[in-house]
Amino acid sequence: YFWTLMRVLLLLIGIGLGSVYANSSYAQTKIDIDVNDVVLEDLFKEIQTKTEYIFFYKDDVLDRSKRISLKLRNVKLDDILKRAFRNTDLSFKIDDRQVVIVKKLPEPKITEEPKLVLQSDITGTVTDADGAPLPGANIVVKGTTNGTQTDFDGNYTISAAADATLIFTYIGFAAQEVAINGRTAINVSMIEDSSKLSEVVVLGYATQTRGDVTGSVASVDIDEAVKTPVVNAAEVLQGRVTGVQVITSGDPGTAPKINVRGFGTTNNTNPLYIIDGVQTDDPNVLNNINPTDIEQMNVLKDGAASIYGARASNGVVIITTKGGGYNMEKAEVSIDLYTGFSKVGNPIDLLNVQQHADMIWQSRINDGITPSHPQYGDGASPTIPSSIVGYTRVQSYDPIVFFPAGQVNAAVQPGGTDWVDEITQTAPISNASISIANGNENGKYFMSASYLSREGVVNHTGFKRGGTKLNSEFKVGEKLRIGEHVNFSFSNTSPGDSEAIEMAYRISPLVPVRDDDGFFAGSAAPGIGNPANPVAQLYRTRNDYDKRYTGIGDIYLNYEIIDGLSFKSTLAGGFEIFDSRRFVSLDPENGEPISTNRLTERDQTRYNWSWTNILNYNKKFGEHSINAIAGIEALEEGQKSKEVARSGFLFEDPNFYLLSNGSGTPNVPTTVDNTDVTFDRKNTLYSLFGSVNYSYLSRYFLTGTLRRDQSSRFLGDNQTGVFPAVSAGWLISDEDFWPSDGIVNRLKLKASWGSLGNQTLPANNPTINISSLSEQFANYSFDGTSITTGALLTQVGNADLKWETSQTTNFGVELSLFESSLNISAEYFNIKTKDLITRDFSLISSTAIDAEAPLVNLGDVENKGIDLSIGYGNTTRGGFSYDLALNLSHYKNKVTRLINDSPVPGRGDLRNGSVTRTEVGDEISFFYGRKITGLDSNGRFMYEDIDGDGESLVDGDDRTKIGSPHPDFTYGINANLSYKGFDMQLFFTGSQGNDVYNYSKVFTDFGLFFNSNRSARVLNAWTPSNTNTNVPALTASYPLEEASSNSYFVEDGSYLRLKNMQIGYTLPSDITDKIGMGSLRIYLQGTNIFTITDYEGFDPEVIPIDADGVGQNLNLGIDRRVYPQPKIYTLGINLKL
Amino acid sequence: CNDDFSETPPIGALSDEALANEDGVSLLLTGAYSSLNAVSSTSFGNGWGRAADNWWMDVLSDDAHKGSTNDDQADLKEIEIMNWSSANGYFYARWGELFTLVNRSNAVIALTSSLEDPGSFTDQIAQARFLRGLANFQLQVMFGNVPYISEENYALSEFNQPNSGPIWDQIEADFQFAIDNLPGSRDASDVGRPTSWTAKAFLGKTHLHQSDWTNALSLLNDVINNGPYSLLSDFVENFRLAGENGTESVFQIQFTTDSGQSYNGNVVGALNFPNPGPFGSCCGFYQPTQDLLNAFQTDTDGLPLLDTFNQTDVTSDWDILSFVPDTDPAQPTDFTPFAGNLDPRADYTIGRRGIDYNGYGEHIGEAWIRAKFANGDISGPYLPKKNVYWADDAGTQQATGSWGQQLSGVNYNVMRYADVLLMAAEAAVETGDLATGLNYVNQVRNRAKNSNYMQATDGSGDAANYVIEPYTAFSDADFARKAVRFERRVELGMEGHRLFDLRRWGVSQTVLTEYYTNEARTIPGFGALINPYDSKHDLFPIPLGAIDLSAGSLNQNTGY
Repeated sequence: YFWTLMRVLLLLIGIGLGSVYANSSYAQTKIDIDVNDVVLEDLFKEIQTKTEYIFFYKDDVLDRSKRISLKLRNVKLDDILKRAFRNTDLSFKIDDRQVVIVKKLPEPKITEEPKLVLQSDITGTVTDADGAPLPGANIVVKGTTNGTQTDFDGNYTISAAADATLIFTYIGFAAQEVAINGRTAINVSMIEDSSKLSEVVVLGYATQTRGDVTGSVASVDIDEAVKTPVVNAAEVLQGRVTGVQVITSGDPGTAPKINVRGFGTTNNTNPLYIIDGVQTDDPNVLNNINPTDIEQMNVLKDGAASIYGARASNGVVIITTKGGGYNMEKAEVSIDLYTGFSKVGNPIDLLNVQQHADMIWQSRINDGITPSHPQYGDGASPTIPSSIVGYTRVQSYDPIVFFPAGQVNAAVQPGGTDWVDEITQTAPISNASISIANGNENGKYFMSASYLSREGVVNHTGFKRGGTKLNSEFKVGEKLRIGEHVNFSFSNTSPGDSEAIEMAYRISPLVPVRDDDGFFAGSAAPGIGNPANPVAQLYRTRNDYDKRYTGIGDIYLNYEIIDGLSFKSTLAGGFEIFDSRRFVSLDPENGEPISTNRLTERDQTRYNWSWTNILNYNKKFGEHSINAIAGIEALEEGQKSKEVARSGFLFEDPNFYLLSNGSGTPNVPTTVDNTDVTFDRKNTLYSLFGSVNYSYLSRYFLTGTLRRDQSSRFLGDNQTGVFPAVSAGWLISDEDFWPSDGIVNRLKLKASWGSLGNQTLPANNPTINISSLSEQFANYSFDGTSITTGALLTQVGNADLKWETSQTTNFGVELSLFESSLNISAEYFNIKTKDLITRDFSLISSTAIDAEAPLVNLGDVENKGIDLSIGYGNTTRGGFSYDLALNLSHYKNKVTRLINDSPVPGRGDLRNGSVTRTEVGDEISFFYGRKITGLDSNGRFMYEDIDGDGESLVDGDDRTKIGSPHPDFTYGINANLSYKGFDMQLFFTGSQGNDVYNYSKVFTDFGLFFNSNRSARVLNAWTPSNTNTNVPALTASYPLEEASSNSYFVEDGSYLRLKNMQIGYTLPSDITDKIGMGSLRIYLQGTNIFTITDYEGFDPEVIPIDADGVGQNLNLGIDRRVYPQPKIYTLGINLKL
Repeated sequence: CNDDFSETPPIGALSDEALANEDGVSLLLTGAYSSLNAVSSTSFGNGWGRAADNWWMDVLSDDAHKGSTNDDQADLKEIEIMNWSSANGYFYARWGELFTLVNRSNAVIALTSSLEDPGSFTDQIAQARFLRGLANFQLQVMFGNVPYISEENYALSEFNQPNSGPIWDQIEADFQFAIDNLPGSRDASDVGRPTSWTAKAFLGKTHLHQSDWTNALSLLNDVINNGPYSLLSDFVENFRLAGENGTESVFQIQFTTDSGQSYNGNVVGALNFPNPGPFGSCCGFYQPTQDLLNAFQTDTDGLPLLDTFNQTDVTSDWDILSFVPDTDPAQPTDFTPFAGNLDPRADYTIGRRGIDYNGYGEHIGEAWIRAKFANGDISGPYLPKKNVYWADDAGTQQATGSWGQQLSGVNYNVMRYADVLLMAAEAAVETGDLATGLNYVNQVRNRAKNSNYMQATDGSGDAANYVIEPYTAFSDADFARKAVRFERRVELGMEGHRLFDLRRWGVSQTVLTEYYTNEARTIPGFGALINPYDSKHDLFPIPLGAIDLSAGSLNQNTGY
């Protein structure tokens, strides 16, 4: 489409201009000028005495009455002339040493044929977003070759028809189309374009020009990325940024899991997020940011990131939001709307009712039992009942009395109930956001409001968010700028019941959703088993919620002390009020009904603040350029939470759900399912830091960084860590010897080394022993009736705990070929993480007290890998333009040391024990279990005799590595195509070579509950006549080890997914102009349109089991209750006024 | 920023310093007792295996089936059918839970020894050592080769100790310390705590388990002759509110319910209630065996059929529906309960069709049983009674959890005086003192005889033909041994002791092999699945998860 087309054109033009500039070496010469009240001629003489420039001009050109004063140090000639010629009609050209002064005239028009339309002169100024004039910007009348360039003050004049459209382009900035609409003055503020070498990259405390970056920094093309309907901004990193592995959940409102360059730790691998001035490592914070408000998203992957020292070892994601611009002609209003629906992408196949009955029969036959079943009768073959035999439900409570047999009925549905279908829905989604940006010479602002509603594909799940944002900045006098960012949002997550997906696998297809009386039907009948009705489960969660009220923001002032030296102080903060409700309703259809309902409420507040003060020195000395910062920062985070549960509610009506309305004794648990729910915590970080960027000739680059952090999480000397980093770059293609007309037009080498820390722990006071009072775990009755309060050790401290540090080495090469139409970036990294922090479950082993194991510096781990990205773009003569981008990431993870050399098992809270293990010499969290070698003559598993003892093949020593959750590589492929007003994007993402542990097979293949349903895989189960299969014989009583960790569960998790496809059409500007719009684009979009995978579960993208941040990376790649990835289809419009 | 900024002390937490006083000792000691109820924050294995009352140990003996359907708690089914895997979550859960008790006790001992005047905490230390001894005793009889974790190990976080052999000496030392330092009696407000008599009884039991008959007898005789205990007049009161912490209680786990989540109820015993059944809730586990019921048969002299009890079956209603299908209203099917002689304790131990079920009305058979004959389920038609609160006590002893499970307030008798009498009888018989043995056994039988008998629900009198008499004499040592052992089974059935009695007597293989055959007569599904008993089953396997976490210090028991 046009933007893309223009961008490509612009790139080509820009390279042309660049090469012109590059040839004029004298243009780099810098001099000091000090003239007072002189005529221009005198100024030229002054310059000629100091340089070798010679001035040429006609006598009548100079206005002798014009007198000027200039006092400038170390400036280039064109800067001097630009100032000198301000408010004159003069223009100049520099050709080698010759300076030609002429009267300013519009560029001669190259009009090939006379226009019949009425032409008029249009004038205006082109500036950057900060209001600085852009000399040399190109202006073309759309559809013609009629064009001009801006002068040194960014002014232009062009002749065009009153209904024509002007296209403004400038290297490093996004092209703009502006309809003239009969105006004669059009000022344009250009927006910087990302992914260009001249782009200014925000690296946290400082900024750098992309071409000068020597560290490993990856950026997201955010405009492209947010075309996918994302909820959490971190989702956009998936497949778009090399070296960043992103695993998303289909569950709206669940933050994705992000790993930058492998797994440096078994502890927390969340990167640090910097959102404008606010720092957090909680990816949920991004749930509260409207993705379209984001201007730039950069990922610091190596030592270059170490300016964030103590928190940076997992990488840093820097997010800056949009600002508005100074000196804008008018307010820019953008409106983005989309609406659509999502549905389950890849439903798994379960048995229908006849197959279920046959499965039962075959199991009985295999077990040597004459088949019979309470539901399917006792014939030679099963009979499908028309109604559930012996069906009942609770008639009355207290005590629980069921309806006598025969009084209530539940008709079996034809073919049985398809439970996966029943718990899923085609879910509407919609999003609206509006923003307005404007600015005058003293102030600028950006504000937005947005609303997003995403219903989940699983019934009664979903996420809603409303938010507002205001960013503004004001100039106070010449030297002081004061600004702020503030973001408020409210979100409401409908969590559903995480068990429901598992229940949908398990519940018998005989059970209908509702019985004949319209009540939910359930398991209160013989031969049904005990799974709950998942439709009922989800329905009953419909009034549950997790509400979050969030504000984050900062206020800063920036004072220019002297030229080049400025001071910035930023006070940032954030808060979140979390309010959650769970109501457990009565379930009269359940064979094991709940006898009392219960309300659980949790309130949690979080806050964080930081105060950062930075001195920034930015100066050029001839060919030497220095950019240095020094800073001091204090940061505090706190969370407080309580949970109260109470039973015995008279009415199951949300209007009645108040804890005071319960009748039972309220409980205040400290932990639920090993997750702390009642606590009050705080931690602080105090830091000093500095960095120096030095470049010479813009060809040689050197950066040094040092940071000292002091964390409240450690004790004594261990509180403090010092984190140095250095990096260097060499733009070889800028050397004289480099052929300027070769295939390779740009080649840059870079290298970095840095030391980074990780102090993000699942405990705030890990150094000390903590005991707690506990109603749950420590109280006892000594007199037989009343309860005495007791205490227990809840955390074993480790006074010697110290920082986890990562030493990152990075080598990179950036290549541009064929006049930059082909761009390649490749980086090699080696990250050695020392003293990785994790809980030592071997120390607090099974023979220990039941306290949290201490956090220890468990060992060392190494990640080596390669990040590769390749981009190719071109435009054909016919106007068809395309951009192709491929990125590929590879890492190899290896544990090199563990303190006690003892393998660490995963703690996945799984039936039949853990399935992962971490040990020296191998990867973090590989799958560990028995290897199936085949099926024996009874259709039972045979196992490999790993220990070679020939004895029992199911003992512990016969376990081995059976798979790896780590991919060989992950990748993303982007294609942007455009032609005339049409544009199309294709975005593929994938993962290759990783395994997934399909834990759901415990239920679907092994019938942990016999009457439960099974996967369609069991249709291929072993029988005496079907021996060529890997599915073991059906039986009512599986040997436990078959369902314990073994290779049957391990599947290839490789996949290729068409993550996004979008077709858009931008209305021709003559139409949009008529209806008074800047631009209007409509698009159709599809997400997760197809997935190519051999994986048989719901989805190969498996988010790690989250055990409250404790050892979650010890349980990678386990598919347990994974929420299915939805397919999403939307229709949207982007409107600019 | 000053240094204070980097100090963020935990809020709401007790530091080691805060606990270093009498209050701290008291809080940690309460915490140690709390883990008796098997609700801790460990997450080892299958949570249901924690079982404070050792109920599933009965499943491994000839007293009980797992209950419910085969697929419900499949890991316990695997244990019941003698397909033992070291990875089985039941073994691991009980193991982890008992070590929690060991170490919460160690925490108290370690704390007191660090205080200025350890001497002033003698009672508390003695209680902690009693609890540690109790936990280690259970570990010892379950797993055989267990590591001993001392208070020094605890203080130094050296929890990975070798499991090189029995730890009887350490268990005895703890009980002896408790004997020497615990008071001889407790106020009503502290009835849940042990006395020196409690410790003496447990030390006696410890000797008994090592076949050290003389020491066992002298300690148990001391308890009997000089201790505060006596049999309750009514057998069933041991399992009812009225008898809780009564004269027969030597040591009980105090389960207490309140109207909230009842963290102090028998949380882990929640499976062991009829389903479907009179409560209409979870879960149908812990079903007594036909074999156990048969053992309650008596002859015309009111004495048990020591050798022949399993040649006749007390009438089983297995495979008989409760109601005639498709009748309106539902008509009960024909079933006549056993008319032969029965020990009256049978119907306080086992719920069977046609007999009142703990005051909830007549057990109606199949409709109250979750296991199904047609499915090949292994669990039979009987219901547990001792662990189920009676209808009259429900107001005080019932509570329900978040998904409807029972959180019963019925105390569990770790040891009651009848047990002391029978242990003493056994020791006496083994030392040749048949007369003392006879005396003690008959005390137990006479109490049963003189108890109130289960009444028929129609008010027509006794619910069954109860005939029980004391022995007139023990003809010889063999007979005496047989009688004492048999008495333990009928008196203490479904109380979690049977498996360890069989092991102690070295008869597991013989008795259980015979049981497998006999039980299969009425429950074919059981016969189809049961595997032969192997000598390795004399001990549980060391849990695989425990070995994996032990940094190489734990070794597997022989045969696994």
